[in-house]
Amino acid sequence: MKATVLTENFREGLTFVNHAVSSRSQLPILLNFLIQAKKGELVISATDLEIGITVNVPAKTDEEGETTVPAKTLFDLISNVTQEKLVLSLEGPLLNITGEKIKTSFSTMPAGEFPKIQSEKGEGMGVIKKEDMLLLNKVVFAASQDSGRPALSGVLITGMGGGGTDVVAADGYRLSLLKGFSFGSKKIEKLLLPARVIKELLSQKNMSDEIKLFVSGENSQAIFVQDSSTLVGRLIEAEFPDYAKIVPHDLSVTAIFDKNEAQNAVRICSVFARDAANVMRLTVKKDKVIFSSSASSVGENSVEVEAKVNGEENEIAFNARYLLDILSVMDGDSVLFEMSGPLSPGVFKEEGNKNFLHIIMPIRVQG
Amino acid sequence: MTLDAKLWDKVLAEIQTEVSKAIFLTLFKNTSLVSFENGAVTIAAPSAMIIDLIQKRFYDLIKKSLDAHTGQTTKLLFVPKTITKEAVTEAPLFEASATRTVGHLPRVRADYTFQNMAVSTSNQLAYVSAKTVAEKIGRTYNPLFIYGPVGVGKTHLMQAVANEVYLKTPSSKVIYITSEEFTNEVVNAIRTNNTADMKRRFRSASLFLLDDVQFLAGKERVQEELFHTFNTLIDGGAQIVLSSDHPPSEMKKVEKRLISRFSGGLTVDIGPLDFELRCAILLIKAKKYDYDLSMDTAKSIAEKTQDARELEGILLRLITETETRGVEQDDVIRSGVLANTQNGGTAGFGADEVIRNTCNFYNIKPTLLKGPKRDAGLVRARQVCMYLLKKESELTFSEIGNLLGGRDHTTIMHGVEKIEGLLEKTTLSKDMLGITGKNYLSNVDYKS
Repeated sequence: MKATVLTENFREGLTFVNHAVSSRSQLPILLNFLIQAKKGELVISATDLEIGITVNVPAKTDEEGETTVPAKTLFDLISNVTQEKLVLSLEGPLLNITGEKIKTSFSTMPAGEFPKIQSEKGEGMGVIKKEDMLLLNKVVFAASQDSGRPALSGVLITGMGGGGTDVVAADGYRLSLLKGFSFGSKKIEKLLLPARVIKELLSQKNMSDEIKLFVSGENSQAIFVQDSSTLVGRLIEAEFPDYAKIVPHDLSVTAIFDKNEAQNAVRICSVFARDAANVMRLTVKKDKVIFSSSASSVGENSVEVEAKVNGEENEIAFNARYLLDILSVMDGDSVLFEMSGPLSPGVFKEEGNKNFLHIIMPIRVQG
Repeated sequence: MTLDAKLWDKVLAEIQTEVSKAIFLTLFKNTSLVSFENGAVTIAAPSAMIIDLIQKRFYDLIKKSLDAHTGQTTKLLFVPKTITKEAVTEAPLFEASATRTVGHLPRVRADYTFQNMAVSTSNQLAYVSAKTVAEKIGRTYNPLFIYGPVGVGKTHLMQAVANEVYLKTPSSKVIYITSEEFTNEVVNAIRTNNTADMKRRFRSASLFLLDDVQFLAGKERVQEELFHTFNTLIDGGAQIVLSSDHPPSEMKKVEKRLISRFSGGLTVDIGPLDFELRCAILLIKAKKYDYDLSMDTAKSIAEKTQDARELEGILLRLITETETRGVEQDDVIRSGVLANTQNGGTAGFGADEVIRNTCNFYNIKPTLLKGPKRDAGLVRARQVCMYLLKKESELTFSEIGNLLGGRDHTTIMHGVEKIEGLLEKTTLSKDMLGITGKNYLSNVDYKS
């Protein structure tokens, strides 16, 4: 194997693939990148057995071949290299990477031990545009981190068959719902994808303008194909709870306030909330919303945010972290907040956008 | 734990000794045995990549171990599958919403849902169709026409559709109404000269369920109203669900244009409940009453009757008996307390039912059957009825005579004998098969 590659391209490729390397896998082979020199390109792959990423980096290949090298070491090396071009060549059990003034050799493991990331491409389901994909930022954070609840650890894309596509994620305390997602497919009604897959897709710097989605039912894999990379994840086989019935209707109290002001208020109150189980109160008054928190051993504070309020004065308490999460992903300048009482879920919307809502379960507080 | 799961545990234990702990934890920990049939062993692992690694490296090891434990030459298949432990609903957000239950819908029982409906071959098609309709109202089968005999779950299914739709989108307008109520509303509207309101009400529905449409027979003005309502609803994309005891094609005294509309969507039937289904229904009902019903008891009750309502009746009697008198279920069953239900306790037929069925079969009126006329066809029907009464009920000849319009007991004896004689030679046994669903051919005593 022998190939020449531009360092910048190589680095960019490795940055994305690196997301799929498990930091603490107990199988040595999974701590490696699989590097394949093919005609005109280097194909670099990594997997932690849950997701797999493959990128194609343009290269001048003199001799085809494949091997695996320790991921972390290679990544750290390439991050710091300043040379313009690098030559990769395999010599016995060693992979030599040489630049103008630099010589490196890695010990390798045979490529045959590396798991096959994608056995078949599956069926094309459709295309997601970049700008639509980015909208998922508003949803994916609400998914549960707990793998013990498979259904809630995923992002549900449903209703492709007709009636408008919804994207939902929930962890049991909060729920994000994006309606009218522009992804339709005649072949499939719904998909439950691990939140991690979506997060990795969103984390990359250079997302393609269009992302093609393939599903292999036989391997229960979802495959996202971009211009120069492929991300493979498994489909979650679990029943997502019926989200439609928990979306509250006709809440009695509504308040519209400035998003940045609110975000600031929440940050300030978080300082105290941190020591008090993250509890933050929202008091809705006639013309303002007061964010407040108190920690018995530290002190307390409150911040007022002007608001256009409809309905009676009311009070509710949320986890401050959840508030920060939702405020930081919302678009637009104004937030529409709806509630009906201290014990019923509160709803956050972007003013003027009917297609997105976020529900948070309140914390019950005494007094 | 099943045998398969135990087998897999043994295999895993063996593999654990052969491979490093790291490999075992990464690759084997979340595997499970899905099935083991004819030497083909299907093993589930969380992802396709894990399967690839296992197949590459450990196929032989697993096979060797499986062969040793099963004593067969096995073949391994792998499927990607995560073993889901539970369905999540205990999260606070979902619980908070659970308190908002159904029951708002007028005339609809909240406990008639898809979840607590027992499904078997006799009602599977209807169940699936109804479920599809509930998921996509107005977009699949429209109208959905469900027919079947009494007590098989037509109303349950219809109300399940209503509940499901209401639960999902509480804002949608659901109207469930029986034909009788519909008739009353129409009549009332005409009487008070206020048809506009009624029209607006029915025609604004997004889901319209009309139960027991056979009762519209002969009511022309009501049928006309239904006809127009029907057209408006269908044109507007609303879903219609209808139920009846007969398929549209066999409905009598219903206008043709209405019948053609009834059959315009999907027509599904629900057959009589089979034995297993009756058991399942009993167990579901028992759970509803929070009563611990044993399988054996359920079976013996299920043998007693065909009708789901009656099943519930017997179950209630059983619950009362066991709870108020503190006796065991088995004792109640054996003591025969439950036996004196309306049908005399057997799955046989009551006298009324035999007469009714015979009249229906031969298409004559009960008054004619009991009357004095002696036309040839009538006489035959009457004699068949005598015979069946004798076979199916424990009535004496003179009691049967009284039932059939005060005839002498000798007349009855003659009739029964006559039919017994004819049974072999004619197709009469087929007639009777149609009336009671039983074959009497084998019952004949041959007098040599």
